[in-house]
Amino acid sequence: MELIGLLNYAVFMAIFIGIYSLLALGLNIQWGFSGLFNAGIAGFFAVGAYTSALLTAPESSVHLGGFQLPVVAGWIGAMIAAGLIAWPIGKVCLRFRSDYLAIATIGVAEIIRLVVKSEGWMTGGARGVNKIPRPFGDLTYLYSQLAYLALVVAIVFVVYLAIERQISAPWGRMMRGIRDNEDAATAMGKDIKARRLEAFIFGAAVMGLGGALFAHFNRSITPEAIDPMIATFLIWIMLILGGSGNNRGALLGVAVVWIIWSASEFVTDQLPTEYAIKAKYMRVFIIGLLLQLVLRFRPEGILPEPQGTADRPEVKTLQNQESAAK
Amino acid sequence: MLKKIALAAGLFSATALASNAVQAEVKVGLLGGISGPIAAMAPPMLDSAQLAIQQVNEQGGILGGQTLEAVVGDSACNPQNGVDSATKLVNIEQVAGLIGPHCSGAVLAVANSVTVPAGITLITPSGTSPEITGLDDKGQVFRTVPSDDFQGRSLARTLLDLGTKKVAVAYLNNDYGSGLANAFKVEFEANGGELAGYSAHEEGKASYRSNLAELSRGGADTLVIFDYGDGTGLTILRQALENGFFTNFVGGDGMKSDAIIRELGADNLTTFIASSPVGEKSNSLEIFNEAYKAVGGNPDAIFVSNSYDAAFLMALALEKAGGDSSKVSAAMSAVSDGQGEAVLPGEWTKAVELIAAGKDIDYKGASGDLNFDNAGDVPGSYGLFKVEGDAFALQQALN
Repeated sequence: MELIGLLNYAVFMAIFIGIYSLLALGLNIQWGFSGLFNAGIAGFFAVGAYTSALLTAPESSVHLGGFQLPVVAGWIGAMIAAGLIAWPIGKVCLRFRSDYLAIATIGVAEIIRLVVKSEGWMTGGARGVNKIPRPFGDLTYLYSQLAYLALVVAIVFVVYLAIERQISAPWGRMMRGIRDNEDAATAMGKDIKARRLEAFIFGAAVMGLGGALFAHFNRSITPEAIDPMIATFLIWIMLILGGSGNNRGALLGVAVVWIIWSASEFVTDQLPTEYAIKAKYMRVFIIGLLLQLVLRFRPEGILPEPQGTADRPEVKTLQNQESAAK
Repeated sequence: MLKKIALAAGLFSATALASNAVQAEVKVGLLGGISGPIAAMAPPMLDSAQLAIQQVNEQGGILGGQTLEAVVGDSACNPQNGVDSATKLVNIEQVAGLIGPHCSGAVLAVANSVTVPAGITLITPSGTSPEITGLDDKGQVFRTVPSDDFQGRSLARTLLDLGTKKVAVAYLNNDYGSGLANAFKVEFEANGGELAGYSAHEEGKASYRSNLAELSRGGADTLVIFDYGDGTGLTILRQALENGFFTNFVGGDGMKSDAIIRELGADNLTTFIASSPVGEKSNSLEIFNEAYKAVGGNPDAIFVSNSYDAAFLMALALEKAGGDSSKVSAAMSAVSDGQGEAVLPGEWTKAVELIAAGKDIDYKGASGDLNFDNAGDVPGSYGLFKVEGDAFALQQALN
């Protein structure tokens, strides 16, 4: 094994961790902070990926487009489109309580997948969208990957900071309030429907951006990428394992799960060749088992949501008053 | 925490083990859709590719007696896993060439973001999407299965020649079905045919009667089915027969499956024909069938001959390129360009001797002649098959 090969693989893993981080951060806004059970991540991933692809790809006879906009425009477009799709869905579905919302969002993701597959004039159908420009795609293998990684890291960092800021702002505290006690929040005069819709759209836009980064990395997007296993449930596992309600936990969960998911193939490859095909299923099993163990022994995740915010002055005064009263 | 350390240690020792492999091995990647939607199709395909590799090793090995080893990867038929697995094969296992992935979407993603940048040659046995032709691949992407364009178009022309001017088309909504159906539609209508119905269906439903009723409303008496005969295609054909929606049936190569004869009975299939690739004037296919049966495989499974050819061609190209992975793509075109002495499936020793003598060779594959064009595509020659007795028999060649 050459060192450069190892480096290439590590950089690739980091890029995928970055892309999945955006999906997990988006889900964290919806589930972690707002309690919205979105089981249709793949749908928003697809909307983002296809929007950006169609905006930036060269003209083709098999799908809409030929706009050839700059990549940045595609990425912004992806966020807007995913947010716009989330708006009517949220309007209809957010009235449901958690498990009903989950069923509704699974349905929505499936509708999006079938529309993508069937409306060939727009999306290229099963052929998908190809020749999508990749930033720094002309460099050699390693440098091209490194440059793309730098882009992904920068974007994840900005998104992370934006979410952290939003969550520590009064809006974030209100969202947690709504999540933990809807009746109390209603009594305080909060417009729960509107606030939930905001969180849903915010999260969906971040997921759309993740989809766009994925499409540009592979220079192509086909309906096969919108597989619920790899584009919805894997992300749920990442967030639950890392710690929902904690952005750093979400990032850690993505890294841990992706590395196990990817590197476990080396372990299963050590089995004798007659098991080579069966061994591939071990990975799916390992991921499932991991989720079971985490839910059983550490339901709050590796990095749980911070309880209480002692560094905030108003909380400190409150605590001081409490201890003085005792 | 201890568990995590143990796991990490396990992972590291595993990678260390993999890297300590003896150098007298030439590795190729065998990337298939093992755990995804084509999980039922993938194992026979991988087995037939392994058969080619086994033959190479039994007949003296590759590059002067080295062992050819296939490292199996799982693309799960989606781009995410495909790219992940290909990155590992190319960078960690340092394979000299990649056989697969099986699904078109994964082929496109893997070629774009792994094999082409890394300068590794890729040959897919079953990626049929016309998009693969147009890849910006520096000539490094090949396939042993014709693009859906070829088959759909030649089937359309042949049906018109046979006097069938009005048909309805039912196709499976994936890259295989819709690719074939699109090509068929364009060619059929351009040459004066009329489509009385044209609709996609999803796989795995219990009943397609409403789809069929809708299609039959157009008034055509011939139904063209682009689907798999051991899957949804069987259900569609059965329900169309049972309910008498149509009288004549035409299938693509996926429908030329023994499951159809077994399940429906030859008596009921007198009006059924299917197009399928045929090898030209060679007994390559029989040689492969015998060899594959001998190792316990079913040679009628879908894409097994293509998969075998892909693996055998990769071995030939590696031998001709002298193991230099940057020269494999040029060698791949050279070993199957229609010029030189014919090499049939399994004739590894003969091929090695010819290459060593500096002679041109031309591999005649089990799935067809496989003469690559500039895009790395094979034209494919097709025949129309009808049911005779309990098997398919060639009725006529397609033009």
